[in-house]
Amino acid sequence: MKTLSLIVSIIVGAFLMYGTIDMPAWGDPDSPASTHVSPYYITHTEVDTATPNMVTSVLADYRGYDTLGETTVIFTAGMACILLLRRRGGRNKDRG
Amino acid sequence: MDFIIAKYNYWIYITLMMIGFYAMIAKTNLIKKIIGMNIFQTAIILFFVSISYKRGGATLPILTDADAHGGHVIDVAQYLNPLPHVLMLTAIVVSIATLGVALAIAIMMYRKYHTLEEDEILKAIK
Amino acid sequence: MIVEQAPVLIVVICLMSAVATPLIGWVKRELCYPWVILALLASTCCSVLVMNTVIHEGSIHYYLGSWLPPWGIEYVIDHLNAMMLVLITGTALLVAIYSKKSLEAELPDRTVYFYTLYLLQVTGFLGIVITGDVFNLYVFLEIASLAGYALIATGEEGAPLAAFRYLILGTVGACFYLLGVGYLYMVTGSLNLAELAEILPRLYGSKVILVAFAFFMVGLALKMALFPLHLWLPDAYTKAPSVASALIAPLMTKVAVYIMLRVMFTLFKPYFSIDLLPVTKILLYAGVIAICVGAIMALAQRNFKRMLCYIVIAEVGYMVGGVGVANTVAIRGAILHVMNDVVMTLGLFAVAGIIAYKMKSNELTAFDAIFKKMPFTMAAFLVVALSVIGVPPTCGFFSKWYLIQGSIMAGNWIFVGALLFSSLVNVILFFRIIEIGYYDFGASGAGDAHSHDERSVVSEAPLSMLIPTYVVAAAIILIGLYNQSIITTIIDFAVPKL
Repeated sequence: MKTLSLIVSIIVGAFLMYGTIDMPAWGDPDSPASTHVSPYYITHTEVDTATPNMVTSVLADYRGYDTLGETTVIFTAGMACILLLRRRGGRNKDRG
Repeated sequence: MDFIIAKYNYWIYITLMMIGFYAMIAKTNLIKKIIGMNIFQTAIILFFVSISYKRGGATLPILTDADAHGGHVIDVAQYLNPLPHVLMLTAIVVSIATLGVALAIAIMMYRKYHTLEEDEILKAIK
Repeated sequence: MIVEQAPVLIVVICLMSAVATPLIGWVKRELCYPWVILALLASTCCSVLVMNTVIHEGSIHYYLGSWLPPWGIEYVIDHLNAMMLVLITGTALLVAIYSKKSLEAELPDRTVYFYTLYLLQVTGFLGIVITGDVFNLYVFLEIASLAGYALIATGEEGAPLAAFRYLILGTVGACFYLLGVGYLYMVTGSLNLAELAEILPRLYGSKVILVAFAFFMVGLALKMALFPLHLWLPDAYTKAPSVASALIAPLMTKVAVYIMLRVMFTLFKPYFSIDLLPVTKILLYAGVIAICVGAIMALAQRNFKRMLCYIVIAEVGYMVGGVGVANTVAIRGAILHVMNDVVMTLGLFAVAGIIAYKMKSNELTAFDAIFKKMPFTMAAFLVVALSVIGVPPTCGFFSKWYLIQGSIMAGNWIFVGALLFSSLVNVILFFRIIEIGYYDFGASGAGDAHSHDERSVVSEAPLSMLIPTYVVAAAIILIGLYNQSIITTIIDFAVPKL
């Protein structure tokens, strides 16, 4: 089992390494990731949202719906913990 | 040499990720599996954050006073890419939530079987 | 006004009702059940409304927060996900109606939180299906997965370990998907599905794209339990509470198949998935092996629910194999089978839940003389079983028919063979149950007249469980009868242009 896991990890890792050959160089200001969508956020954040912090404006405004999902994830985890860990002793109470 | 400088941090994150991946699938102790899962997710976060880096003196994605009120054209190369940071804020929260649920399930099993070794739990179930 | 906002309301109604459920449960616990049904009913109405709009006016684009894509997140609803939305909300509504008695028996002290997570699970599925943004899809995938792990972990002995294993593999799957998103973002700079689809053809030679595509497929194969990656499924779905497995088993794997269809045919152009890479060949063989292994393993099971789990694995093989055949007819069959399989799996797990409720067991021995005890339940079961086997006019026949027709056209005899083999095995599987259920083995062994009387007394399941099961049985026959109009109004638009 351990050897198999090691082999699987090495194969997956090697495949990921293979992908890096065609990747844009690290920190290249002209890479597609830095030139396609994100410049809009940098140049328009003040105009659109009046927020100098771009991370805030993207998080809470442009992609605010993702953040709603994010808080829902936390809510889900909280409810899951209550569902799983609440002691059965709560049965004799009629609430909850 | 240029090739190595351009890519080495991707290789570091891949190595880190595979350490986590190995722990997730090979270890039988549940807590070790959970730790592996966390390393795995952290490696992905590092990868995303490294996408956002720009060489050449780019700074935090917060507008300086001059840019915010100056009214002149903002130089995009001066600021880091904000989008991956946002995505990773979400991914960090997701990874914490997964960690919480995983630990909750582990606690549930510990209460019942008083062990966190997968094979011992399997024996107890049968 | 409501018509314009309907796309987002489908998701948000479920989400907000989930948040309100603990509060309502705190006021009065009994109110949770009608509240969940009310919320899902509203959501179902919205999704039917959206589907109606899509059929008459074409795709809907909804910009969240009015930010235009690619800067903001958009919802895109075309025929494929309109169909999925109706299926998900409909299934969730039926299972919610069905849930009352079963939950009272299995988890009497935890219904409030169970319903909260139930709604969150549905929210997750809906969010995955409706969105046009690859990262938003990941967020909702995690909501659905987390709720699923928790619901499964509340089951019988051994459920926590099954849920834990599912959690580890599910997280690997979701992270692989996220990694694929990261790779695509790195070389394109966009997260919008439609925009990515436009940019990507220029980059099809890139190794980054190849790796991204591979990670999408492996991650989704984990989520849909495609053959070598199916190991988490049988334990998780067998040991989950009946209501949880009746919700998750029909939807989780099918939602993953939906994402796979999106990735293969919307995000990447069909010629990339079919001509440039040998993906469809791999999928075809994976499907064939999944069908055969699922069928053989199902034969070996002594537990009804566990047998159903292996049937689910085989059914995933149908859809994946149908996509692997890669011609219009087979993909039409695969998409029709997504619809049919949601309905059929729901029917099977609903019957399993009723048996577990009445007999307190899901072993095949619990089916002793069950036709006399529960004639109505078993009548519905017969309809579902005939559909899984593939007997006309039930819906299972038609999707199998298109799959077989498509693979004959493509000359893929091995897939035809696998389909026929699994139909044969399904005949054996279900007739074995019918045999156990029809004859009174247990009573003759006991030889006691008194126990014989007791065993033959009709003791039907409560109406709240029977009615949803009958709706499912009716849906199976109706989809079968109207399959032609379903195909021409919905599915033909969902089939990618090859």
